[in-house]
Amino acid sequence: MENAVVLDRLTKRFGRFTAVDEISLSVRTGEIFGFLGANGAGKTTAIRMLCGLLLPTSGSGSVAGFDIYRRSEQIKLNIGYMSQKFSLYGDLTGYENLWFYGSVYRIPAGSLKARIGELASSLELEEFIRRPARSLPTGWRQRLALAAALLHRPRILFLDEPTGGVDPVFRRRFWEILYRLADGGTTLFVTTHYMDEAEFCGRISIMHQGRIVAAGNPQELMRTYGQNNLQDTFVHLISRGGADA
Amino acid sequence: MRKLYYIAAKVMRHIIRDPRSLVIAILMPIMMTLLYGYAINLDIKNIRLAVLDFDRTSASRELANKFFNSGYFRVPGASADLMDPERILQSGRADAILIIGPGLAKALEKGESFELGLTIDGADANYAAAAASYSQIVLGSFLKEHAGALGRAPGIALSQRVLYNPDLKSSHFFVPGLIAIILMMISALLTSVTIAREKETGTMEQLLTTPVTPLQVIIGKVLPYSALALLDGTLIILFAVLHFGVPFSGSVALLFAFGVVYVIAALSIGVLISTIVNTQQVAMMAAMMATVLPSVMLSGFIFDIDTMPAVLQCVTYIVPAKYFLLIIRGIMLKGSGVGVLAIQAVFLTALAAVLLGTASKRFKLKIG
Amino acid sequence: MVQTIAALIRKELLQIRRDRIMLRLIFIMPLVQLLVLGYAVSTDVKFIGMAVHDCDRSSLSREFVRSFSAGDYFIPRDSGLPLLEIERGFQENAYDAVLIIPPDFSKTLAAGGAARAGFIVDGTNANAAAISLGYAGIITAQFNGRTASREVPISLRQKVLYNPEGESIYFMVPGIIAVLLTMITVMLTAMAIVRERELGTLEQLVVTPISTPALILGKTIPFAILGFVEMSIALAFGVLWFKIPFAGSWPLLYALAFIFLFTTLGVGMFISTATRTQQQAMFFSWFFSIYTILTSGFFIPIANMPAAVQYLTYLNPLRYFMKIVRSRNASSSSCGR
Repeated sequence: MENAVVLDRLTKRFGRFTAVDEISLSVRTGEIFGFLGANGAGKTTAIRMLCGLLLPTSGSGSVAGFDIYRRSEQIKLNIGYMSQKFSLYGDLTGYENLWFYGSVYRIPAGSLKARIGELASSLELEEFIRRPARSLPTGWRQRLALAAALLHRPRILFLDEPTGGVDPVFRRRFWEILYRLADGGTTLFVTTHYMDEAEFCGRISIMHQGRIVAAGNPQELMRTYGQNNLQDTFVHLISRGGADA
Repeated sequence: MRKLYYIAAKVMRHIIRDPRSLVIAILMPIMMTLLYGYAINLDIKNIRLAVLDFDRTSASRELANKFFNSGYFRVPGASADLMDPERILQSGRADAILIIGPGLAKALEKGESFELGLTIDGADANYAAAAASYSQIVLGSFLKEHAGALGRAPGIALSQRVLYNPDLKSSHFFVPGLIAIILMMISALLTSVTIAREKETGTMEQLLTTPVTPLQVIIGKVLPYSALALLDGTLIILFAVLHFGVPFSGSVALLFAFGVVYVIAALSIGVLISTIVNTQQVAMMAAMMATVLPSVMLSGFIFDIDTMPAVLQCVTYIVPAKYFLLIIRGIMLKGSGVGVLAIQAVFLTALAAVLLGTASKRFKLKIG
Repeated sequence: MVQTIAALIRKELLQIRRDRIMLRLIFIMPLVQLLVLGYAVSTDVKFIGMAVHDCDRSSLSREFVRSFSAGDYFIPRDSGLPLLEIERGFQENAYDAVLIIPPDFSKTLAAGGAARAGFIVDGTNANAAAISLGYAGIITAQFNGRTASREVPISLRQKVLYNPEGESIYFMVPGIIAVLLTMITVMLTAMAIVRERELGTLEQLVVTPISTPALILGKTIPFAILGFVEMSIALAFGVLWFKIPFAGSWPLLYALAFIFLFTTLGVGMFISTATRTQQQAMFFSWFFSIYTILTSGFFIPIANMPAAVQYLTYLNPLRYFMKIVRSRNASSSSCGR
């Protein structure tokens, strides 16, 4: 099975500031990969490079088998992206939003209609899809954003803090949906602040000051660093990483 | 009071942190002053006059020179075609043609009546009207010089005098008026857009969940912009006086007091607009319609209210800029005091009070 | 590419349609502007309030005053103020000019001497003051001619081409259409991309396979359409309501407007990508609009401006379009112009 994401010593500098410092990692197809790190650790810069929005300074990488330097167009066709901030059009209805994004991903009108119906029922959005997106409760808005990111059946889904500001019940159900997706073969690349969520991931990496300080299965990591939970592991790694930086 | 201070300080920080906007907010009035001061000159000069002289005498040449030396007319780049003189107007290479038929010199000598022809491109009616009356002025002075030869009685001599602006500088008229426009633009446009921005990005909701009252939010938002507006006004006045030599003959304190009343009226319109709209785009368009357009067009800033149709003249009574224009021109150019400006002052204050009342009522209803 | 652009246009028009106030503004704005500007904009100097101080009170002095009321230029009336306080009337804006006739006026004239009359004008509005000075001079010269019981020997027969009634509306309305087109297209386009940036929706757009040219086209075409709709409404209104004779060719006007729109949409797009907030975009587009309108010759003849400013106007796209609409409409000149 090929790897969905492969990074080798990927680096991004802004002037003299190194935002991402030689990170290497690989994400297997169908895996849920947790990309953790404190604010300002360089997560967002890394994700922007993976999505083809930013050119790296050095190092190499491929997403869905496409080179991140030269094939950003192909990458964009094969990934979905959903961010912490609601970024759909509030004045349009859910359906109009989905129709717009579907057209942008060049889905033919006939199959787009069916696809929207399919997603709406699997994400239980039918009730809300005709209302202006602005008027939806946060949890439903997030599902709508997920639906928009899934329209074109991406092979890899990037989720940037997808559950920010959502209550625990909604979060739990959101993760159930993510598991279903992963079972269907979609690779999930998730950043999160919630350590209990990070435990849902098959593998995680922890980033600090532009570097990956640890990576592996959450349970393994806890054992390796002798901590009882992921939260403590995270704090332990960050303070240690801070010391040798 | 402290909360107010925090909000105002926050907005002030926003303004200062956004150097592009700040630069424009300060540069724009100066640029506009320069443009209005130099570029805007409604006196029509340099009308391109093609002369067709069939008389070819010293008298006819003298008449033509009289036209060109008047300052109103100048020689066009092309000369008129004898067979089809109007072609030069059609092609846009001249604005008027003066046709001097044969016999002018003879008619002058004998005191006979004689007719000259003037054909004017009427596409711009104002320009055409000016060309018509200027040519009469030139002809009048030509005849006056030949009056002796014509044996005319001296008649009435009109001695003319111009008050307040003896050099007839357009900048004295436009630059003080510009202050009315800029104050309105900054106060109404910026407030409506800045409040709409909080609504659009959802930060208004967040602000209202804190223990600040809506009224405090508004006052806090409005204060920095009124300060900016008054600063701009001061800049323009300094520029007008120092650079363009516009006189300031009245009381500075009085002008400042009226300026504050005017800014209150403008800010109220801005708040009123922000209670109606939800996005910055719409706020901008609405503010343009409700404030900038009437302040420029219906205030007497450029176009004389007396020549407007009656319906429009009625509309001008609710345009705050109309009163402020009369006040600022009166104070700066004529040195008017409170006594003579009483009517304008009453109207402006009443208008500001009504606008402020409506705005705060609607604001409580819609946002508070 | 085509499907993507079509989707963007559809979305943009949907958003415009969704906003009721915006929609109303878009349609009402050109009409209100046309009405207000069409009627208000006139730099004709007429109906000048003139206070009269007739110290002579003879039939000759009354006749002289009466000659000022011909032709709607002056409205003579008694000042009602003592001679020493006439300045008060200027300050109260009660009148703009004063005519003073000294006590020995008719006696001097009868004796064949030169009688002096005084004419004082409020110079605040420099243009109006200069014109009223001119009118007063002409009226006096004509009066002199008449009292000398002979016509002014040399007269000027004036003929006005293309707009013989001297309607400034014929000239202003096409100009307003050009101004409207500039303001709407520059401002709305300027806000188009920066708005998505500010609201965060741009983030979602850039991860889709939309190419930059497609994004720019999809963001400008809706406003070009809007510009054409606005122009058509304004033109229809101008022709049907103001009865402006339209002598030129419609397709040519639209084709030239299309070329003109490239410049305004381009500027708008540039502003939109160079700014970070809608407020900044608004500021910049305002600045651009004001500059272009002022230096386009819309109501200030370019020939009047100082040489340096005149050169600046060559950089102004509206300057050319202003010439185009006005000549298309007002006269029947050919395309070569």
